[in-house]
Amino acid sequence: MQGSDRVMHKLAFMGIFTYLDDLIEAVEGLKRAKADFTVYTPVPRPEIREAIGMKPSPVRYFTLFGAIFGIVSGLGLAVFTVLQWKFIVSGKPIVPWAPFVIIAFEFCILLGVLITVIGMLVTTRLPQLHIPLYYDPRFSVDRFGILVRGVETRQEEVSKILKDAGAEEVHEIAA
Amino acid sequence: MKDLSYRDVNREIMNAMTPPGKLYVLIVAFLFVGILVLFSFWGYQISRGLGVAGVMHPVVWGTYLVNFVFWVGIAHSGTLISAILYLLRAPWRTAIARSSEAMTVFAVMTAGLFPLIHLGRVWVVYWMIPYPNQRNLWPNFQSPLVFDVVAISTYLTVSVLFWYTGLIPDLAAIRDQAKGVRRRLYGLFSLNWTGTHHQWGHYGWSYLLFAALATPLVISVHSVVSWDFALSIVPGWHSTIFAPYFVAGAIHSGLAMVLVLLIPLRRIYRFENIITMNTLENIAKTIILTGLIMGYSYGIEYFMAWYSGDRVEEYTFLWRAIGHYAPQFWIMLICNTVAPLFYFFKKLRTNLVTLCSIAVLINLGMWFERYVIIVGSVAHEYDPYSWGIYSPTWVDYGILVGSFSLFLFLFFLFAKFLPAISITEVKEELEPPRRRGAGRCKEATG
Repeated sequence: MQGSDRVMHKLAFMGIFTYLDDLIEAVEGLKRAKADFTVYTPVPRPEIREAIGMKPSPVRYFTLFGAIFGIVSGLGLAVFTVLQWKFIVSGKPIVPWAPFVIIAFEFCILLGVLITVIGMLVTTRLPQLHIPLYYDPRFSVDRFGILVRGVETRQEEVSKILKDAGAEEVHEIAA
Repeated sequence: MKDLSYRDVNREIMNAMTPPGKLYVLIVAFLFVGILVLFSFWGYQISRGLGVAGVMHPVVWGTYLVNFVFWVGIAHSGTLISAILYLLRAPWRTAIARSSEAMTVFAVMTAGLFPLIHLGRVWVVYWMIPYPNQRNLWPNFQSPLVFDVVAISTYLTVSVLFWYTGLIPDLAAIRDQAKGVRRRLYGLFSLNWTGTHHQWGHYGWSYLLFAALATPLVISVHSVVSWDFALSIVPGWHSTIFAPYFVAGAIHSGLAMVLVLLIPLRRIYRFENIITMNTLENIAKTIILTGLIMGYSYGIEYFMAWYSGDRVEEYTFLWRAIGHYAPQFWIMLICNTVAPLFYFFKKLRTNLVTLCSIAVLINLGMWFERYVIIVGSVAHEYDPYSWGIYSPTWVDYGILVGSFSLFLFLFFLFAKFLPAISITEVKEELEPPRRRGAGRCKEATG
């Protein structure tokens, strides 16, 4: 926290849930109340994705770019190298396309994967320098959590949504 | 497995990561000695020259190439299980995906050593890398051997990244239970993952895209390895069946290796609740399929040798069955095609001893298959004047034993220091705890 102490913290709520259906109910309530929230889960569940209404990840575009860039660079490298010394190999044209398909394919996969990794790190904002203090280690075992930010003016409303949905614990925190 | 709670999954999988006992340390030390043998024999070969190994004209591709193809083959079923079965949504892969991926990574690393060991001047290996140089010399991208460099290095990179990406949420789960240095170390490698819905969303997409890219890659890699042979005109190698035949063989040996590694792992770490007999049976059933493909491929090779009317091809295949390497040929045939048929009997495939023994036989058979194809073909090519017989020397045997030691050493370290089963994916297979309409999963307690 040392580094982030300089940031002005605002009041937030952290609700901890045991049951998935309680969590979904809370998510739906918070969505209706237009609250700013983040869900912590030990495992990805399609029900949560649907309740939040998550869109497909833009990491797809990174992959597409990486794969196309890989094809172009693999093919480009192979063509560039044969043009340096115009030797005839196996009676084939100077630029033989058939063997270069293999080079282009392997580069497509290699750069596709490498740029997908970069895309994943950018979109998930990993690596993080610190784990927030309000993170509960039970989130990687069997508990679900909802962090609700911007609750200064509507503490009671948000707390009620979390408790009514069946939150096991609701903490006031600084986030 | 369906009766487990989320907490049980964390506990059962992390139980394997307790501080090692004496037996574990002893085995790891023994395997380390094997690695020292590998590197000292290699050092001896570098100092004295490649002549200390058995390779000599006409057989210049000896056990080093046999080992290379064998280990690349072993690597294949890891990606098959983690990527192809992931895309096909086969639930039985969950319990075995992580250790199979680890097997892939370690097998590719071991395989990657052999082209280096086989080089006369290993210190100039960087000449294979395309980099700008004063004389403007570049690798020949029309050569299958350069295809192989590109394919294997891509495969190693992709399988390491695929494996590591799968590990991130599990490393965070270990971090959350650990203390002190362990906590900091696992935290560092988990990239401080916290499991927010944003993270899971992007992560899920990335993993799916990895699987989609790894699937064609796994098929291509062993096809490219087969073209190292098939693109030459050596009798017994120059055949269009080689790519699918090699891919099927790779999966055959890889699945057998998964059984050889998992059966003891399951017993030692008490993973019976997670790696169920049903999972092992499914692997055995897949091996029956790959075994039948192998039998078909061997048959087709003989058919084509006869049907082509090419006398050299015919003689090569006749010599395989009755010539100098006939014992290796018959071991190959029986172990790869007859032994897996015993898995048709439920009694044999549900008995751990027979299940494991047949898998060992298949691995033996697949090693000899590569021996028969590689050594047997170049020993008797077109010109009888150039025929010759190859026998491995003590250097070849030492390096072979060393490669098994290296592979098992890495696998043992993995099983102790990383979760051998994916915590996240096992949880995904369970019904989540629900207050209303309770699922099959027990309620979370504690």
